[in-house]
Amino acid sequence: MGGFFHSVFALVSLIILIYFLLINAFYLLFTVLSLFGIFRYRQLTTFVNFREVFRLPLVKPISIIAPAHNEENTIVESVKALLSLEYPLFEVVVVNDGSSDQTLEKLMMFFQLQKTRRVFRKAVETKPIKGIYVSSLDSRLIVVDKVNGKKADALNAGLNVSKYPLFCAVDSDSLLEKDALLKIVRPFLEDPEKTVAAGGIIRLSNGCLVESGHVVRIKMPASFLARFQIIEYLRAFLGGRIGLSMLKSLLVISGAFGLFRKDIVLQCGGYRAGTVGEDMDLIVRMRKFLHEKKIPFRICFIPDPICWTEAPESMRLLSRQRNRWHRGLIETLLHNRRLFLNPRYGSTGLLAMPFYAVFEMLGPLVELLGYGTFVACLFSKLVNFPFAVMFFFVAIVLGTIHSLMALLLEEYSSHRYPHLKDILIITVFGVMENFLYRQVLSLVRAKAAFDFLAGKKEWGAMRRKGFALGQVNQ
Amino acid sequence: MTPSTIIIGYSLLFLLLLSIALFFFIISRRVVLDHQQKIFTRRYHKIEKDILEAIAQLKPEFSIQLARRHRYFPAVLTKVLIDYGNLISGEGKEQLKIIFDAALKTRCLKSLTSRWTVKRLKNARLFVAFFNPADSHYLLRLLQDKPLIRLATITALSQTRSSETLSFLFQAFESDQGYPVRSYFNMMFGLGGRVEPYARDYLRKPLSPEKIALLIELVGAIPLRSLYEDILLYASHENKEVRIRVARALGRLLVPDSIKTLASMARDEAWEVRAQAMKSLGKLGTLEALDILSDSLFSPFWHVRLNAASALAKLGEPGIGKLREIASQTKDRYAAEMSTMILDEIIQPQELG
Repeated sequence: MGGFFHSVFALVSLIILIYFLLINAFYLLFTVLSLFGIFRYRQLTTFVNFREVFRLPLVKPISIIAPAHNEENTIVESVKALLSLEYPLFEVVVVNDGSSDQTLEKLMMFFQLQKTRRVFRKAVETKPIKGIYVSSLDSRLIVVDKVNGKKADALNAGLNVSKYPLFCAVDSDSLLEKDALLKIVRPFLEDPEKTVAAGGIIRLSNGCLVESGHVVRIKMPASFLARFQIIEYLRAFLGGRIGLSMLKSLLVISGAFGLFRKDIVLQCGGYRAGTVGEDMDLIVRMRKFLHEKKIPFRICFIPDPICWTEAPESMRLLSRQRNRWHRGLIETLLHNRRLFLNPRYGSTGLLAMPFYAVFEMLGPLVELLGYGTFVACLFSKLVNFPFAVMFFFVAIVLGTIHSLMALLLEEYSSHRYPHLKDILIITVFGVMENFLYRQVLSLVRAKAAFDFLAGKKEWGAMRRKGFALGQVNQ
Repeated sequence: MTPSTIIIGYSLLFLLLLSIALFFFIISRRVVLDHQQKIFTRRYHKIEKDILEAIAQLKPEFSIQLARRHRYFPAVLTKVLIDYGNLISGEGKEQLKIIFDAALKTRCLKSLTSRWTVKRLKNARLFVAFFNPADSHYLLRLLQDKPLIRLATITALSQTRSSETLSFLFQAFESDQGYPVRSYFNMMFGLGGRVEPYARDYLRKPLSPEKIALLIELVGAIPLRSLYEDILLYASHENKEVRIRVARALGRLLVPDSIKTLASMARDEAWEVRAQAMKSLGKLGTLEALDILSDSLFSPFWHVRLNAASALAKLGEPGIGKLREIASQTKDRYAAEMSTMILDEIIQPQELG
């Protein structure tokens, strides 16, 4: 019996070791690719003045679609920021998705909304629309008031009402940098036929000074949780997404900030209503559609256009957010399982889908299995103790290297943390996150897998503090 | 010590050293870059001061001396020349051209034929800013390069106040037989309102219908309302494609008088022209078009009916009322079905519903 357990533990340990090596090899590959990608982007944008794009008639107009559900604390500030973006021609479509608070009333009061009798083409089915309003202060602002149908449904309503050929999906609680649209539209100017979507980088606004809806001074937040998330975002966006984009395998353009060709999205049926991971789901379905129709395309990730968003600072809200993200990931992968290892779908089927399934979806479960196996081996006295301790430290140092690489990528790209003190803080928290924080999040994500199996479909309310105006938002 | 423990021990040591090296690299890189930036800024200000003096003096000898003095700092000199090349015109720009010719031109032209995209891209702007008609083959080459370089060239062209580049572009358009005509549209469109005098001249030239159609499309797309009268001359052109473009351009120019022309195009012999005229009438949004649009809903051609019904919906309540009326009649089933389809497709907030 003892021999049998010994063999099982040895096998499990081997699988975990291989998994560990593979996942780190992939992340290292992505980081190296990202480094090349950022370096090339920097070179290609030398002598490029993005303000010039403003005067180019080639630039296509953009509809910014911002779904809002119970956002009374941030909505006015966010819409003001959206309206003050630098771009030649755009409209802002705010979709009030059945808010139960004062979101609509605040918009009506501040922007002097008037109910319009204009009609719009219903290209995608949505929950009933109660009213469409236009601001009498700024005709570029349109507010759609509709019955609650969750984020994907709200985005679809925005798609129906929007009139321009490109649309930018943003979260109404996020802040875009003034020139973010000018930067994100570049791939659509360079290659208008092939480019179907482009994503920008998301940064955390916690701790930053916000004035007139724009981040004017970047500062590290006081909250430890927010600091951990800063490193996570740097790793995910600068390390992961640029690398995946270079391998033509990017499956996620964040729902907080992405630019899309409307005709292609409509041909794919718009956003899939009822899903909790609508951003990833859309990209996967777009890839599927374009591969099936044999339409050449590219989906880009650009390290420069920046969108600031507020990260949860309590463990409860963070767990809720990560739980939703992980359920969205599982749902999308299972819904589009036909693509998995299917050569018909090129790199999407052969690389992206397996990567997300094996390392992102199963990652937390394997990590927990590793901890469980270690504890079991400890009790059975099967542990080679010096090896285990050193392996633990190798994992920590590797995690720290990934964080440092992300920091290096940040230095090469937008260089937003100007003080050496910030670099030190990021480095220290890059080490600290390996103790407890990572493990707790793995537990949360593993629980999300069980929640998904149990049929949980809840979105999970996110409470925002609102942007601190004229002072540091702590 | 088992072999696996030794391996993991060395791995740990290696990774630890790597992370420390990485950390110090990040810190030292930051320090070095800050220092380099300071040097660049200092040198930039020095060259800038000299260039302003050259522009004030307007003496070619002084400009040549300046170019000789600063040619060993091509990156900074390029930056200053690009910054000032877009701001200054006239005699001052001539001095900048002299500096460019003496210090950077040879290097720039060589780089334009480089196999490295980044090199070509970096030099495209400089080349266009100080364009010389004698080097026009380089410009054509850039305009046929990768999309990224084409965009940079078009951006540079749209910033450059030189009329030489524009007239070269239109001459190439007139004489070019091989290069796809459509590509010229993107180049010209990128230049915006500055192409207006050239578009007017070339619309009066005996060009092929394909090229005329492209120019009419350009007038509508930019849009160039002052050329409204010029494109009206083509409303009864023998070529169907040209007439389609006229109908489309009128829908973009949105000149109220164009209703008369569009009304006559709504009775064109080609259904494609009629369909486009319906679309443009909808964009015009005038209630004068109500009768033409509702009559066209009874057309035997599906596209004409579709565009007429969509245009009626765009006219707001009167148009929707007309659609409801046609949807409820039984004389023409196809017209009724099209009206019903459009009525179903549009979102009508509760107030309208």
